[in-house]
Amino acid sequence: MPIAMPEPGQLALAIDDLTVAYDQKPALWDIDLEVPKGALMAIVGPNGAGKSTLIKAALNLIPRAAGSVLFHGQPYEAARHLVGYVPQRGSVDWDFPTSVLDVVTMGLYGKLGWLRRPGRRERAKALAALEQVDLVELAGRQISQLSGGQQQRTFLARALVQDAQIYFMDEPFAAVDAITEAAIVNILRELNKRGRTVLVVHHDLQTVPEYFDWLTLLNVEVVASGRTCQVFTLDNLQKTYGGRVASLHGGQVLAAGG
Amino acid sequence: MTERRVWQMIAALLMLGVLLLPLSQALFGLRLTYTVRVVALGGSLLGALSGALGCFAVLRRESLLGDALSHAALPGVAVGFLLAGRQLGALLVGAGIASWLGLRLVAAILRTTRIKQDAALGIVLASFFAAGIALLTYIQSLPDASQAGLDSFIFGQAAAIIESDIALLGGIGLAVAVVLALLWKEFKLLTFDADFASAGGLRGGLINALLSTLIVVTIVLGLQLAGVILMVGMLIAPAIAARQWTHSLEQMVVLAAALGAFAGGSGAVISALDSDIPTGPMIIVVAFALVLLSITLAPGRGVIWSQLRQRENRRNFRSRRLEPGA
Amino acid sequence: MMGLERALIEMLLQFVTRDELNAFLRSPQHTATLVGCLIAVCGALLGTFLLLRGLSLTSDAISHTVLLGIVIAFMLMTGAGLEGDTSSPWLIVGAAAAGVGTVLLTEALHRSGLVRQDAALGLAFPLLFAIAVILVSRFVDDVHLDDDAVLVGEIGLAWANTNSHCFEHCGVLRITPEHPAAQQTRQCANCRELGISPRDERAEFKEVCGNCGVYSPAQAWSAGLLDEAPTLVFFPKSITVMLVMTALTVGFVAVFYKELKLTTFDAALAKSLGFRPAALTYTLMVLVSLVAVGAFDAVGSILVIAFFIIPPAAAYLLTDRLSGMLLLSPIIGGAGAFFGYDLARGLLFGIFPVAEGIAALNAIFGLQLREAWDSSISASVVLTMFVIFVLVWILSPRYGLLASAIRRANSRRRFEDQVVLAHIHNHQGTPSHAIELQAATLHLHFRWTPQKMSRVLMRLRALGFLSLEAGSAILTQRGDAHVHAFRKHMLVAHNIPDIDPTQP
Repeated sequence: MPIAMPEPGQLALAIDDLTVAYDQKPALWDIDLEVPKGALMAIVGPNGAGKSTLIKAALNLIPRAAGSVLFHGQPYEAARHLVGYVPQRGSVDWDFPTSVLDVVTMGLYGKLGWLRRPGRRERAKALAALEQVDLVELAGRQISQLSGGQQQRTFLARALVQDAQIYFMDEPFAAVDAITEAAIVNILRELNKRGRTVLVVHHDLQTVPEYFDWLTLLNVEVVASGRTCQVFTLDNLQKTYGGRVASLHGGQVLAAGG
Repeated sequence: MTERRVWQMIAALLMLGVLLLPLSQALFGLRLTYTVRVVALGGSLLGALSGALGCFAVLRRESLLGDALSHAALPGVAVGFLLAGRQLGALLVGAGIASWLGLRLVAAILRTTRIKQDAALGIVLASFFAAGIALLTYIQSLPDASQAGLDSFIFGQAAAIIESDIALLGGIGLAVAVVLALLWKEFKLLTFDADFASAGGLRGGLINALLSTLIVVTIVLGLQLAGVILMVGMLIAPAIAARQWTHSLEQMVVLAAALGAFAGGSGAVISALDSDIPTGPMIIVVAFALVLLSITLAPGRGVIWSQLRQRENRRNFRSRRLEPGA
Repeated sequence: MMGLERALIEMLLQFVTRDELNAFLRSPQHTATLVGCLIAVCGALLGTFLLLRGLSLTSDAISHTVLLGIVIAFMLMTGAGLEGDTSSPWLIVGAAAAGVGTVLLTEALHRSGLVRQDAALGLAFPLLFAIAVILVSRFVDDVHLDDDAVLVGEIGLAWANTNSHCFEHCGVLRITPEHPAAQQTRQCANCRELGISPRDERAEFKEVCGNCGVYSPAQAWSAGLLDEAPTLVFFPKSITVMLVMTALTVGFVAVFYKELKLTTFDAALAKSLGFRPAALTYTLMVLVSLVAVGAFDAVGSILVIAFFIIPPAAAYLLTDRLSGMLLLSPIIGGAGAFFGYDLARGLLFGIFPVAEGIAALNAIFGLQLREAWDSSISASVVLTMFVIFVLVWILSPRYGLLASAIRRANSRRRFEDQVVLAHIHNHQGTPSHAIELQAATLHLHFRWTPQKMSRVLMRLRALGFLSLEAGSAILTQRGDAHVHAFRKHMLVAHNIPDIDPTQP
């Protein structure tokens, strides 16, 4: 793919020949992916394309069959403090007895290290993050009483307090209300402005050009990756999704991609 | 309930617990023999310990793991006896090892086959228990007469508790409290969101193993008192009751410990009042009564509360609909 | 029940003589194995559906709470002046009610929305069991309901608890005072009342018959009241009970096979098609309770769950078909019952002597354990089933540990080959060609050891898939074809379009 190759030092994330297999069936196949610092990138592809797998493999949550992943030129073990993670909302039990503020404070546990307990400073940081996602007044609320969108914003706030350089977000836009969607977009832009790198697993093709300046099309292999304006073409989308795209989104995608 | 109310409730429970023996002496004419005091103290300590750790078992959706692990301890008791004779230490170590092996076997079945958790637990439970029964039958056929009382591990025999057991329970309880306090945020994060914990650099496997070990230790200590069948109730009933009153994990664990201690103590007292009532089962009945009270009465979550709220909603709705016409 | 037994015996007598039948049934081994096999068949059939519905541990709960039903029915019966007997139909009704009660209590707890399913189960059955234990130790004083029998049971004694059936010389003997065999004695009628000795003159006497009453043929013969031996068959009660249970279970599964299959795999669809999944589930639970109580005498309340869980789990590792599971799991359970008896007597699968194992332990650890092994039959049956399960787990051709290990090793090798070929294919002819495909540094891209990489490269060259040109790996035509073939295969497996992103 003829993308302008950034300098190696400018790469936030460099994935090299990454292969992941579940039971020897490849879920990701020989992935090469380079994400420049400060990119706001969507990862898009059909169901089962390995989008979540890509994030989990990068974060060492599942074993890799081959390949390497570097964050700012360092392997994950050395770069943990650089990485923030927003898991899928459905991956936890929202009836867990804990408050919104508590969940956000969890983002600071990694920095605190063993044995030390969160104190006033951590509380202040967590409140500041809640301010950003507009949830301060719900800080003391039990998490089971949140709406889906509020849950998502809580997770986002937890990632924000991590104050990371590279963020991985797994389907943050899945089944949220319009207010939350707007709030998330604002935060993505804010992070982008502050020079942070953000990778978002995304499922809504129509909003891709509006929200993201970089795009990776994934379907077990990387179909295309680069600036959205270059990659977001009907041709590439058809390669990713097969003929289904044209029939689903028709002219809109064409117009958006052109 | 507000946070303060829950703390008040915990304090009241603890007061009640402390006053339990003098009160029942005054009200029901309980004779405070040495055995009664030791059993009541043992029951409370065990209740507190299993209540606190049971919270994590329940929240990790592993409520029934305790059942399998307590049954799995039985062959360990038998082997411990065969190797070292009737020494409590050997029996408990044997029980712990067998229970831990059961845990590994469940994990291995889940990892390498498509058998689901419930069946895997059932396989381990039944086959380990069968091994225990086979070994106990074999032991009973041995000429050595000192095997008497080994089957008290099946049903539990509170009267067999002696002072050194209390010291053991107290010591382990203290150790568990210290570990919980030190690794509180790790346990909490791992229980809530294991993926996020691992991504943030937490050694998930290690913490997991530590938590499981604590639960196994509690079960093994509880066998003498509650027996293999009822142990699962001791583990999860206080936790489920506590969950209804509070929305914070800290309070849930402390409250579960207090409720567990209360159930343990009062179960022991009731069975002391009538010598035909066995202690372990009575503790379970009290613990379940606490659960029932909690899920009906707890403000905010309880059944009565939500019924009232529903009725109020309906009334509001109806009056609002009537307003324009009125 | 008696009529049924008699019909059965008459049928059997068509094939064997009466003496042969009696001799067969009097052997503890035969009866134990037969009862064990019947329990195994019931358990395996019902357990298959429990396993597939994720309800295996419900059988655990039910088998414990059945005790509560038995105890309550027992107390009611003794209260009403009836004789308590663990095979009485009222106890069975009580047990079935308790089983359904467990399920209802669990569902009520779960439906409150405050307690999760597994936790609800974990709450319900210790409670009901605890109540049962309290009732037993508080109110019941009977050997049949003592703690040990509840938990373990002894299938080895099943042969001794029999009904007798008479076929010849059967006249029921009624001894009245006029009967020649009647033993009359004189007794003082008012001695105790007046506090006098029989020799006192005020004593009044009456004739009392010491052995009057109604004698069954078996009793009459053993009391020496008959000249001619009646033709008797002694039939163990457990066999009859379990035969009835087996007939019910097999009938239920055969009649409702289609419905059970549908509700097990897709309850929602079944409901929309007008079936009643809830009714079926409750029937299933009633049957589980019935089998649990039928097996109560023989194997006790904990070990019976092994019959519900272990054979279906083993069958689940052997076959993918419901019909296959329903066929295999009774066979596995039956084999457990068959070989279990030998294990209790010290022979694993009738071949390996346990005594030698104990002797070896004694030798290694310097212990002095008795080598003769003689243990609980019920527990041994369960252990045998577990051994079979472990053997299946290791050896199953499809899902066994061994088969998967071999398959994994094979496919890892193929997989490594494919990864390297795909890498070369993707970078061949691109600007980064020279960097990416240097054979000497190729391993760095994969984070593999150089040894592993050279092993793979050697294999690929031997297969004729690639060649080395100026230190760079290049696909041969054959290698290229292989990559494309695999790509097609992989993409079909993923159901995604076959478009090669490296093609323009």
